[in-house]
Amino acid sequence: MTYVQTIQPQLWRTDAAGGPLQHFSRPQLPQRQEQQHFPSLDDKPQFPGASAEFIDKLEFIQPNVISGIPVYRVMDRQGQIINPSEDPHLPQEKVLKLYRSMTLLNTMDRILYESQRQGRISFYMTNYGEEGTHVGSAAALDNTDLVFGQYREAGVLMYRDYPLELFMAQCYGNVSDLGKGRQMPVHYGCRERHFVTISSPLATQIPQAVGAAYAAKRANANRVVICYFGEGAASEGDAHAGFNFAATLECPIIFFCRNNGYAISTPTSEQYRGDGIAARGPGYGILSIRVDGNDVFAVYNATKEARRRAVAENQPFLIEAMTYRIGHHSTSDDSSAYRSVDEVNYWDKQDHPISRLRHYLQSRGWWDDEQEKAWRKQSRKKVMEAFEQAERKPKPSPSLLFSDVYQEMPTQLRKQQEALARHLQTYGEHYPLDHFEK
Amino acid sequence: AAQRRHVAHFTFQPDPEPQEYGQTQKMNLFQAITSALDNSLAKDPTAVIFGEDVAFGGVFRCTVGLRDKYGKDRVFNTPLCEQGIVGFGIGIAVTGATAIAEIQFADYIFPAFDQIVNEAAKYRYRSGDLFNCGSLTIRAPWGCVGHGALYHSQSPEAFFAHCPGIKVVVPRSPFQAKGLLLSCIEDKNPCIFFEPKILYRAAVEQVPVEPYNIPLSQAEVIQEGSDVTLVAWGTQVHVIREVASMAQEKLGVSCEVIDLRTILPWDVDTVCKSVIKTGRLLISHEAPLTGGFASEISSTVQEECFLNLEAPISRVCGYDTPFPHIFEPFYIPDKWKCYDALRKMIN
Repeated sequence: MTYVQTIQPQLWRTDAAGGPLQHFSRPQLPQRQEQQHFPSLDDKPQFPGASAEFIDKLEFIQPNVISGIPVYRVMDRQGQIINPSEDPHLPQEKVLKLYRSMTLLNTMDRILYESQRQGRISFYMTNYGEEGTHVGSAAALDNTDLVFGQYREAGVLMYRDYPLELFMAQCYGNVSDLGKGRQMPVHYGCRERHFVTISSPLATQIPQAVGAAYAAKRANANRVVICYFGEGAASEGDAHAGFNFAATLECPIIFFCRNNGYAISTPTSEQYRGDGIAARGPGYGILSIRVDGNDVFAVYNATKEARRRAVAENQPFLIEAMTYRIGHHSTSDDSSAYRSVDEVNYWDKQDHPISRLRHYLQSRGWWDDEQEKAWRKQSRKKVMEAFEQAERKPKPSPSLLFSDVYQEMPTQLRKQQEALARHLQTYGEHYPLDHFEK
Repeated sequence: AAQRRHVAHFTFQPDPEPQEYGQTQKMNLFQAITSALDNSLAKDPTAVIFGEDVAFGGVFRCTVGLRDKYGKDRVFNTPLCEQGIVGFGIGIAVTGATAIAEIQFADYIFPAFDQIVNEAAKYRYRSGDLFNCGSLTIRAPWGCVGHGALYHSQSPEAFFAHCPGIKVVVPRSPFQAKGLLLSCIEDKNPCIFFEPKILYRAAVEQVPVEPYNIPLSQAEVIQEGSDVTLVAWGTQVHVIREVASMAQEKLGVSCEVIDLRTILPWDVDTVCKSVIKTGRLLISHEAPLTGGFASEISSTVQEECFLNLEAPISRVCGYDTPFPHIFEPFYIPDKWKCYDALRKMIN
């Protein structure tokens, strides 16, 4: 009894016209059976570790980085559909929601970035240039699909109608913050919207997302888990762990990599030497695709199809969304130290997800300059109102410093909480108690 | 004559057969673990067990029979990657399902340190209780085994004791192990359960077949005494029990023996109550002296019980070296070192 398994060799092929052969490059992995087979006497490799033919020519496989995995797109840089059969034909309301989510996020980013500069909040991270990756993917998911993010995916929450008040509450750490003021700004979380709270360590969410997907599979939940991370985080061991577990344990998960060209100051040429992140997928047995992250329809189509198949087939998908980080890494960064203004301007002016979608909307007659002007005014007003409210609210009571370490408060911790209370009774004048609830 | 490999440095003392939990069966430590896992998977349909080599039964046989009984989607191997095992387990727990992760040796838990300390321990706090991974339990074989050397003998509880948000538990026996493991699995906080590997076969006693719980964060006074308090956990409890007998016999000294059981959060009240009575404290663990958990106990006890102390608090621990192979008999805090330290405390 021979043990036969067919895996397509991983060569990046194009068709005769030089276009991509198929969207998802395909290692065809049937279910691996429990290994109970004895080697046969055929002159084929019998090793349990690989399914392949013999070769008698010594040849190293050349990693293909000059002509890497092609970038799937639907619109050109002017927002015109290239291949009409790829147009997802989303209804007007949905496309407007995509547009409004991106622009509202952009407006909120401007105001909150500025508020950090003015010392009103301690820290902020903008999403400039990557809004398309957030809303394109969010729009392709069910509202109950579980999201694990890194820190630059606020547009996913925006698309899921997370209120401005709560974005601001978290950044201000005020009394309305669902996170009870425990974390730095932009570490959002929302149980109701199935968005797991962000943590600062990079890539730690990747194997966690895989575990959540496994549990969803066991529960027959018909849910996908999506896990966002940057191309820098993809270098972490946790990324390798997550990919390998997702494939071997057959988990319904979408790995969504935002490849925005930089990890703080580190360009991709110093982050990896292979063909980006998408090329790693097949190494794990994962169906993979590279898309134009600034094309919301491309992001939408890829995520939609990945979701459908991940849930139906219980296997992971890897989407590498190519984009560009127009803003600084964070308010603690000045990117002019490591990249040119010209480079940034190119992306801001020539290839921006918001302007590309606006051109699409305008060419459909679904948007015009007047609506644009009105919406800019309205969205700015909404943001300013939420901002002013957030500024005025007090911070949570200092007693909340001590809760939720465990589900129940341990005796020793309660003693420490009481010690702080006593300390504040005597020395309270040296603490900013006026800004905090009792 | 050829040197014989030495005999164990302790004698396992079984506890009397428990009466209050129904029918019992003779079990060794790994069988008691299997029994706890079996009970868990039977009553909690979301519970899954995973890690390296758990499918065939585990390198220490703790999961024998469970895959056949509960299915391959519930008892399964993972790739060889501790950070993945723990991260994956956290993710399962975030959805509310019960995750029981095995790390093959406590010595290999360190790749998972970030996931445990930065993620699992902080999940509830950092999210304002929106999310948690309380239904995660991590099990790992722990402690000296006679020949384990640097990487099959470690007791890393001190690293984790410094991490608010997780619980750390070490049983001394099969009966304790089953009850404590069940409590860890059911506890709504992520728990690390260290299993003294030298006891897997060596410790045999009557263990209830049905599930039962032993509370966490409660130390047990296993022998009352009036002159000295001895504190240990895991295998070392059997060493100090013997030291208590030696002290009684040779010195006429009455020792109170405490099994700490939970390292974090630890039962300060039971230990302090004992020291207030006896005035003397000796703490013993295999892990190296400096920064070992005895330092935390010692520090807290001198704060709380300073005026009751008749002698400096004594710590009898492993040396500040990696765990050696051929020198193990000299490295471990055996009964002679504990007895000697006790003797000095009496004078």
